[in-house]
Amino acid sequence: MPRDRLLRILAMPALLTAGLCVGATERDGALTVTVTDRDGLPVDHVVIYAVPTRIPHDNPREPAPAVMEQRDGAFVPHILVVETGASIEFPNTDEVSHHVYSFSPAKRFELPLYKGNVHAPLTFDTAGTVTLGCNIHDGMLGYIFVVDTPHFTLSNRSGEAVLTGLPPGDYTVSVWTPRIRPERLPVPQQVSIQASNVSLSFAITSKLFPPHMHEGTSLSWDDY
Amino acid sequence: MGRLLTLALCLLVLLGAPVAAQTVLSDDRHQWALDLDLGYAAASSRLGAWPEGALGKLRYGVDADALSATRLLLDYRGRITPTLRASIATDYVDDASAGIGLTEAFLEWRPVPTSALERHWRFGLLYPRFSLENGERGWRSPYTTSFSAVNAWLGEEVRPFGVEWTGQRRLGFYGSPHALGVSVAAFYANDPAGTLLFWRGFSLHDRQTRAGDRFDLPPAPVRRNRVVVGYRAQTLEPFVEIDHAPGYYASVEWRYARRALVQLATWDNRADPSSFGNGQWSWRTKFRHLASQVALPADIGFVAQWMRGETHWIIGASPDGSLMPWSRLVRDDFDARYAMLTRQFGTRHRLSLRHDRFDMQRPEPDPLGIDAGRAWTVAYVHDFGSRLSISAEALRIASTRGLWSEFYAEPQHDTERQFRLQWRLRLGASR
Repeated sequence: MPRDRLLRILAMPALLTAGLCVGATERDGALTVTVTDRDGLPVDHVVIYAVPTRIPHDNPREPAPAVMEQRDGAFVPHILVVETGASIEFPNTDEVSHHVYSFSPAKRFELPLYKGNVHAPLTFDTAGTVTLGCNIHDGMLGYIFVVDTPHFTLSNRSGEAVLTGLPPGDYTVSVWTPRIRPERLPVPQQVSIQASNVSLSFAITSKLFPPHMHEGTSLSWDDY
Repeated sequence: MGRLLTLALCLLVLLGAPVAAQTVLSDDRHQWALDLDLGYAAASSRLGAWPEGALGKLRYGVDADALSATRLLLDYRGRITPTLRASIATDYVDDASAGIGLTEAFLEWRPVPTSALERHWRFGLLYPRFSLENGERGWRSPYTTSFSAVNAWLGEEVRPFGVEWTGQRRLGFYGSPHALGVSVAAFYANDPAGTLLFWRGFSLHDRQTRAGDRFDLPPAPVRRNRVVVGYRAQTLEPFVEIDHAPGYYASVEWRYARRALVQLATWDNRADPSSFGNGQWSWRTKFRHLASQVALPADIGFVAQWMRGETHWIIGASPDGSLMPWSRLVRDDFDARYAMLTRQFGTRHRLSLRHDRFDMQRPEPDPLGIDAGRAWTVAYVHDFGSRLSISAEALRIASTRGLWSEFYAEPQHDTERQFRLQWRLRLGASR
C-alpha cells in the first residue's frame, strides 16, 4: 500500500473529529510530522505547530480553554499547548496544597497556596514559553507553550504527530521542546497544504537534555 | 524494664494516634507525622556501646539483643503564612540521655520567586544540608539504618543554631537541567564539636543528638608522668555556646536534573579552645566536605561523601576549668569518607551496600591521636505500603585506635559487628 494512502486512512478518524471541532471543510488537509534525535530515534512530547503564513483566521472564535492540573506532585500535562488568548484552569487534585507561579516574560503570575479549583482561570494572551513552578515543591516543573495558531499537537512515542483540519494554504511549521536550547531547535519549515496529506520530518541535531522526572531514581533527591 | 515501658508507651500512642492524625490531616496547614522504630539488635563488640559511655563504636552492645523501641519520632510541619513555614522534629529515645528531645526546630521563609534566582532563609536549630543520606523525615536515611561515619558524626556534634541563606538558580535557559545553589550561614551552639570525635572516635549509628542531650564519655585518665593513675568521669553536652563567637558554614552545589549532584562545603565553629563554660571546654573544629550522587545506568544510585578537617583542643584541661601543668594545645586531623551503591527493585525493595573509611591522626606522630578504620554496611529495606517498612542491616567495623591502648590498656585493634532488624510504623502525613 502506498505510504500516502496508508496515512490518509490512518488520519481519517482524526480528520473527521477535527472537522467537527474547527469547522473544517472536506478540502482541509492533514500534516504528518516526524521528530527524531541526532541518532535517528523518535522523540516524544515535542510540540508541533503550524502557523498560517498569510490568512488570518477566517472565522473569529474563542481559543479552546485548557486545564493544567496538579496531580501526584506534578503538573499534568507536563507540557500544555494553547492558542494565544486561551484561558487555563489550574485545579489541584492533590491532598496537599500547591503554590503555583511563573516569572516567564510571556506570563507572570502567582496562584497563592490552594487545594481544589479555587482560582479563576487565567488568560494567556502572549505567545511564548511559560515555565511553571510550585513554591512548596521544588521538584515540580511544567510548561505552558502559547502559540499564535489553533493548529498544534505533540509528538507521540514514535516521534509522530498528525495535524488535521488544516484549511488549504501556506504554513510555517515549527517544533518546540524544553529539552534543548531554543536557538538549537530545528529550523521551521514552509509547507503548502492542499486537500491531501503532507509529510514533514524534523531532525534535532544537538544532544537532548534528559526528560524531566517527577519521581527520583534509586536515589533520593532532597529538594531545597 | 525501661525498654518494656517504652514499648508499652509507644504502642499506646500508636493505637490512639491514627484517629488524631486523621482529624488533623484534613487541613494540610498543619502536618503531623508520628513514626515508631522498633528494633532488634545483635552486636559483637569487646568494647561495648558508646551511648553507655563505653569505648566501642556501635550504638548497641552485646547485651542488647532484644526488641526495643529505638526511636519514636514526632515531626511537625506547619505554615504560618503561604511563604513562612515552621518545622519541628522531636523524638523519644530510651538509651543514654533518654527522654524526649528536639532534633530540629526552625522557621523557613521562601518568597515566591520573581526571577530565575530562588532564595530562602532558615532560622533555628537545623541540620546544614551536607548529608546525601539523610533526606527522609526526621533526618533518617532511606538506604540504611546506621548512617555512614561522616553523617553519624554530623548527627552527633554538628547542629547549628543559626541563620542560613540559600540561593538557587537554573543555569541558562528555561529548560536547562543545570542548577547552581549557594548557601551561607552563621551559627552558635556547636563549640564542643570534636570532643566526641576524639574520645569515642568515628562511629556508625543512627542516634542523633537532641538539644540538651548529655552523654557519658569514656572516663578521662588522671595521669602522672604520662602514666595513668586513675580515671575521672566526664560528660559531654554537644550543643552549647561557650565563647559567644559565631561559627559559619558555606556550600556551593551543582545539579544536573535528577541525574547528578556535586556539593562542596566548609564548616567552622570558630571556637576558642581556651574558653571554658558550664563544665566544658571549647574545641576549635573545622572541616571541608565534598559530596556527590549520580544516577548510574541500570537504575543504580551512587552516593559518596568525603570530609577532611581538624580539631584543636587542650589536652590536660579539667572539667573544673583548671589546666594541668602539662596541658597543651593539640591538633587532631580527621578524614572520613564513604561510597555507597543502592538500587530499588520495584517500589518495595531496596538493597544498599556502603564502604566507609575513616582516619584520625596527629601531625606529630602520637599513637593517642590514631583512629583508623574501615566499615562495610549492607542493608535491605522492604516497604509494605506507605505505613510500614522492615529493614535488615549488617555492619562490620574494623579499627585501630591508639586511645584504647594508651588510656585504657585495651588492644589497639578491634572488629565490631552488628546486625539490626527494624520495623518502622508511620502515622500521619505520608512521606
